[in-house]
Amino acid sequence: MACKNQDMFFRQALAAPAARAAFTSGVCDTLMVIPSYVPFGLVCGVACVNAGLTTGASLALPALVYGGSSQAVLLQFVQSNASLWIAVLSGCVINLRLAVYSAAMASKVRHLGKTQRMLVAAFMVDNTFAFIQAREQSHPHDKHLMAYYAGSSTVSWLSWVLFCSIGVFAGSIVPPSWQLDFAIPLSFIAVAAPSIRSLSMGAAALVGGMASVLLFALPLKLGLIAACLAGLSAGLLMQKWTARPT
Amino acid sequence: MTLLSTFESWSLVLGLALGTFLIRYSFIGLFADRDMPAWLDRALKLMVPAIFAAIVFSGVAIVNGTLGGEVAGLEHWPRYAAAVAAVLAAALTRGHMLVTLGVGMATLHGLPWLFR
Repeated sequence: MACKNQDMFFRQALAAPAARAAFTSGVCDTLMVIPSYVPFGLVCGVACVNAGLTTGASLALPALVYGGSSQAVLLQFVQSNASLWIAVLSGCVINLRLAVYSAAMASKVRHLGKTQRMLVAAFMVDNTFAFIQAREQSHPHDKHLMAYYAGSSTVSWLSWVLFCSIGVFAGSIVPPSWQLDFAIPLSFIAVAAPSIRSLSMGAAALVGGMASVLLFALPLKLGLIAACLAGLSAGLLMQKWTARPT
Repeated sequence: MTLLSTFESWSLVLGLALGTFLIRYSFIGLFADRDMPAWLDRALKLMVPAIFAAIVFSGVAIVNGTLGGEVAGLEHWPRYAAAVAAVLAAALTRGHMLVTLGVGMATLHGLPWLFR
């Protein structure tokens, strides 16, 4: 969303050299996971064409929605002749997990103006959120956390749009045997594994992870939300259990 | 294949874009200027690892997850081996991205090659 103000946001965010350095490390860190975008981006681009979207709308979809699974679900519903409303609502359900990230970001954007807060929100995806969480742990109290986020988002958004567009025009060009999409869970292992620092967080992760596999057949990919709640319950139970006086 | 009209195509795109933006902005809009209730703050610290783990577990154990998908059986053992190797690599290097990705992808493709 709202890419026109992006330039202004970045110019303000990048006034100081230290901020530029943070921006650059955001760019570099994110570049490493970009190959994992390729297969899914191509698939999403191809799906636009198969679902019968006009070329303009196909190119605007990744740029404005910027969320792969929701794009894929939207197009699946369109292709199976569901009504447009159902398709849009289903896509939104997939993105409900972003509300959790939004809550976690709220305290980090306190010093920003309203427009910048909206920009931060508009560019938030699993990867950039994971990166900013990891950055906050490795660089606590960094004034330039948002410059890092801007760098990460720039690379992430541009490549997502690029790969989806290639999919729209050229179809799938990477052999599936490469299993590049396997890099997605791997990149989250790198970010999440070292951030688990208590028994309750471990319990939340373990139960949430297992639940996501057991429940993956739930309609609308509600399994992810259900897994999140299951993990939360497990974590809370563990907190209660470990806090009990012995 | 039925082609959609320009109006239909753009309604889909703008509808999902708007809905997704509102979700992304929701809690930032609510709580950027005031403190979050303590219970929500506490829940968040557990929900984030739960979602990340869900992305990892389903990404490893479900093949073609974006296109319907099926649970990966034993014939997909390199996926599980690669995930374990990546967890070890991440734990030992405190989450070094390139090392974790490298070890994971090398295990995924290298082990079946060794045992073919």
